[in-house]
Amino acid sequence: MSHTDESALAAERTGTAQRLASAVVGVGLVTFVLSLLSVARILTEETTLLGVGLYDFLALGALAMGVGVVVLGVGSRTGAFETNPDDTPGLVTAALFGVGAFVVAGLVASQTLGLGTLGWFALAAVSFVVALFAVALTPEDIGSTLPAGGVAVGAAALVLGDVLAPGFAWEPVGFSATFTGAMVAPLVLAVATLVASWAAAKAYEGYGSRGRQTGAYLLVGINAVGILTVLAGLLAFIALKGVGPATQGFSLVPFEWPFVTNGYSYQPDIVNGVYPAIVGTVWLVVGAVITGVPVAVAAALFLTEYAEQGRFVGAVEIATNGLWSTPSVVYGLFGYAFLVPRLGGSTSLVSGMLVLGFMLMPLCLITSREAIKAVPDEYRDASAALGVSQWETIRSVVLPAALPGVLTGVILGVGRIAGETAPILLVMAGGLRDDAPDVLGSFEFTSAAPYVANDALLQSAPALPYQLYATITAGVSAENAAEFGWATAFVLLVVVLSFYAIGIASRIYFRRRLNA
Amino acid sequence: MTDSSLFDRDARVRRVVESDRDVAALFAVGGVCLLAAFVMFVLDSTMAVVPLVGFVAATGYGWFAHQAETARALTFLGTVSTVVVLGLITVYVFLEAWPVLQLMGVRLFGFTDPITVFGVTLLPGVESYWSTSEHVYSLIPMIWGTFVTTVIATLIAAPLGIAAALFLAEIAPPLVRETVKPAVEILAGIPSIVYGYLGFVTLNTFLFTNLEMANLGSLFLVGLVIGLMALPTVVSVADDALTSVPASMRDGAIAMGCTEWQTMKSITLPAALSGVSAAVLLGIGRAVGETMAATVILGHSQRLPDPLQDVFDNTETLTSLIASQYGNADGLHMNALFTAGVVLFVTVLILSVGARRVEIRMERKLGGGE
Amino acid sequence: MSETKSIDPEMTDEPRTTTTGESDEELRAEWTAYDFEGDPKLSVDGLDVHYGDEQALHDISIEIPERSVTALIGPSGCGKSTFLRCLNRMNDRIRAATVSGDVTFEGRNIYEDDIDLVELRKRVGMVFQSPNPFPKSIRDNIAYGPRKHGDVRTGLLAKLTGRDDAAREEELVEESLKQAALWEEVNDRLDDNALGLSGGQQQRLCIARCLAVDPEVILMDEPASALDPIATAKIEDLIGDLAQEYTVVIVTHNMQQAARISDQTAVFLTGGHLVEYGDTDQVFENPRSQRVEDYITGKFG
Repeated sequence: MSHTDESALAAERTGTAQRLASAVVGVGLVTFVLSLLSVARILTEETTLLGVGLYDFLALGALAMGVGVVVLGVGSRTGAFETNPDDTPGLVTAALFGVGAFVVAGLVASQTLGLGTLGWFALAAVSFVVALFAVALTPEDIGSTLPAGGVAVGAAALVLGDVLAPGFAWEPVGFSATFTGAMVAPLVLAVATLVASWAAAKAYEGYGSRGRQTGAYLLVGINAVGILTVLAGLLAFIALKGVGPATQGFSLVPFEWPFVTNGYSYQPDIVNGVYPAIVGTVWLVVGAVITGVPVAVAAALFLTEYAEQGRFVGAVEIATNGLWSTPSVVYGLFGYAFLVPRLGGSTSLVSGMLVLGFMLMPLCLITSREAIKAVPDEYRDASAALGVSQWETIRSVVLPAALPGVLTGVILGVGRIAGETAPILLVMAGGLRDDAPDVLGSFEFTSAAPYVANDALLQSAPALPYQLYATITAGVSAENAAEFGWATAFVLLVVVLSFYAIGIASRIYFRRRLNA
Repeated sequence: MTDSSLFDRDARVRRVVESDRDVAALFAVGGVCLLAAFVMFVLDSTMAVVPLVGFVAATGYGWFAHQAETARALTFLGTVSTVVVLGLITVYVFLEAWPVLQLMGVRLFGFTDPITVFGVTLLPGVESYWSTSEHVYSLIPMIWGTFVTTVIATLIAAPLGIAAALFLAEIAPPLVRETVKPAVEILAGIPSIVYGYLGFVTLNTFLFTNLEMANLGSLFLVGLVIGLMALPTVVSVADDALTSVPASMRDGAIAMGCTEWQTMKSITLPAALSGVSAAVLLGIGRAVGETMAATVILGHSQRLPDPLQDVFDNTETLTSLIASQYGNADGLHMNALFTAGVVLFVTVLILSVGARRVEIRMERKLGGGE
Repeated sequence: MSETKSIDPEMTDEPRTTTTGESDEELRAEWTAYDFEGDPKLSVDGLDVHYGDEQALHDISIEIPERSVTALIGPSGCGKSTFLRCLNRMNDRIRAATVSGDVTFEGRNIYEDDIDLVELRKRVGMVFQSPNPFPKSIRDNIAYGPRKHGDVRTGLLAKLTGRDDAAREEELVEESLKQAALWEEVNDRLDDNALGLSGGQQQRLCIARCLAVDPEVILMDEPASALDPIATAKIEDLIGDLAQEYTVVIVTHNMQQAARISDQTAVFLTGGHLVEYGDTDQVFENPRSQRVEDYITGKFG
């Protein structure tokens, strides 16, 4: 038994090193966020913070972090801070610093020193190898802090030394873009602060496996928050741009909402609206549900209740997956080649319904099958043991139990197809219009086959997503055109995301009920 | 079912035989009617409506007289129709593409310079990539455009998406997880045209101004937008894969004194690898087939960027080619657009089959653990 | 009438708790007092566990002697597994669980805030109810812990720098597998996937995996419940051997098993109370509590 060399059961977490590390991470998060805001030009070089210009402020932050990180590393090595480092930061860390060295050396050699391809590549490759081994062979505390601190101090020096000033411009050969100081400086600072924050987070837990976990959690957490922020920001941006024009002339009593109840009239004094597009979208969805859902549910029933696992089921599964993944524009092409010539010869609402119905089919089939599979076999056995026939069992036991799941799948599928533009582009079209399609009022009987006719179904109809596309092709430079677009985008977003929200909420609700 | 029918063999047999005959006749009529309706519709005959009415009548009768058998037959028809729809798509897209496939042959993938190895011409050249007046159609610029945008989108969506899925599945506290997961699933529903509008109106101008670009629209921006668009899907599917790894496996590592990060890296992520790769493949499939964002953002020029690696230049993707040119295309030009559809269809089908394969492998692997 | 009698122990016990609670607690303290030589490896004092509003364990106090086998028995839902998971703080991973009281190990209360869970779990290992090998090779399963803890260095970097411990790792794998009585059966297929082993082999692999980290205490949560009689017998033999070097705490619902393998036995009864604790022979042959006697003789539970 050799338990003598083991570390203490308790970890020290309140020392100077922890306070310093937290401070570095704190400064790092602030600098990182400000840097990203500057990349997005929400903050510009004209901004001053605490009396200092934006870039200098960010650079000073990075400088302080760099110094702090180096202190954390050296303090750990000299024994001033109690830590538990491994004897190497690991190959992945070393390789990442190596790649960083490769990029920096390559850029300096090719852009500043003006070496040829062979020259800069050789220099960069040497830097990569040197950095890799230098980091890999030093103990973890020094190996992760010194390079990270170096990155932060270096970036800060470039900005403070006015090398990466707003006037900086780099036109890489072979790219039709210019990287200006306004883009590059905050981007470099953002990367540098991230690296330094990671090193400080490792130091906070005293390196070792726990330190690596904290460092990784910091990066993974920042990534998750970043993704959510960007997506939420996107929604907020569209809402911000769209709510105003979409609610123009809105009043509750008497109820008036011109954007939703008007058509697109091309008249200057009337608010242009999306009423025809909303009606068109509703009809599209109704038609697609009628075409796609019964077939999908029937197929799902057959596959789960009747069919034996075999070649046929395998073929159907491949077909379903194929349909599921077929790009929407290919559905459009198919509709254009197959449906349009057979249904009146021109783009039409009914072609759009059928194409979207075909798209809905695999979506609903997959979810319905899951829902039917999720019905416990005990139900079927219990019903069969009572002498009830298979079809009666399906009708009275399996289907009711699977219904919530099937419905959820339909709702989610509808959300997806309601926002599709590409297929209806080719088979339905229908631009900015003043009148809504009147499907119910257009049915009439004829003397020749097919004996029933409906002009509204055989004409093209507007739909929300296509309307947004039509706004773009018509050009957004005209007065109010962009606003109309934002408002349409907003309404489309609300419609589609409502379907998703309802579908997902009901799924969560029914899953909970099933598990409870 | 009364006792008499259970024991009176003759009566039972008689009834079954009669019923069987009836059902067989019904199926024959219904089947023939449906087949006739389908064939007549394909042949573009308006009279297709007559056999269709016959089919509906047969089904209606069957539903009341022999519900169980009819229901079973109808579910079977539903199953067959999914296969038929995929078959029709394949046939019609290929059929429409055929004239140009025949005209161009391998030159459909031809460069402006012929590719020769030791004096043997492997791939004859084309005079220009895309000329509707001379009927020369090479898909190379579009394939390059699709390839570049897909690579950029994958580089964004795969690592960031997997990292976010790790956060959701393994790190986030339950309350955060339970709110963020549905939110991510809802965000996966943002229609691509909305991203396209944002890209067209806002981001295009932003990059044009701040990167002093020569033109509005670039492959870089399209890739960026598609990557962002694919992110929620990748996060959500990868999260499902990670959470399907049995908790007992994680507990085994934790109880041994491994940190959660070590457990994640060396147990959970490898065990979920197939599912996570399937998520990435799905994301790539979406990126390849994405139409509206590319159509709206790009400047539509059917040529290779010059030089090739200039991601800030404009070209065309397979999808945006179709969406931007179908309006004024006819004859061979339209057929040429269908060849782009064929390439897309085949690529995505391969990706989808690949994704399914790795998924099956994962199910087998984890199934063995129980 | 006879039915009433068979549930009598619980019926009579419960009122006594409410009317003369003081004496009940005293009684229980008497029944769970266990004197043994040497220092306790783990001592638990006043442990309460709640899952949300529900109390799973009531005021458990127990001292576990070093290098011996301690069996925890009791009917389903009596809290014995919960108690076991308190000893290496695996309960921390269950959302709604709140723990109060002291668990002293190595002179420290492991529920203090600054306790290093990673270090604690290295020293207090655990084997689970159903075998849970990692989907890796047999070798990788055993070497997983030592590799992660930096005890053996392998991989590209170690090879490049000449600090490769491949030989030591090999030794460790062999030693652990031998200790777990699995070496003979798998030594020719160390690179096969561990999921291909039989259930009993998988469970012994999990024990070997736990031993490779060199813990001081091994917690076992019904380790043989998912296995056939032959595999169970092998695991039982193994546990006896392990007690030479390690402190083993084992949860089991099988009373014969507890009687066969353990040095001392703790009996938990419904509601999360520790009712009796003592020398295994004494508990099984001469229980001090009427309820424990009823449980052991099969009258309820």
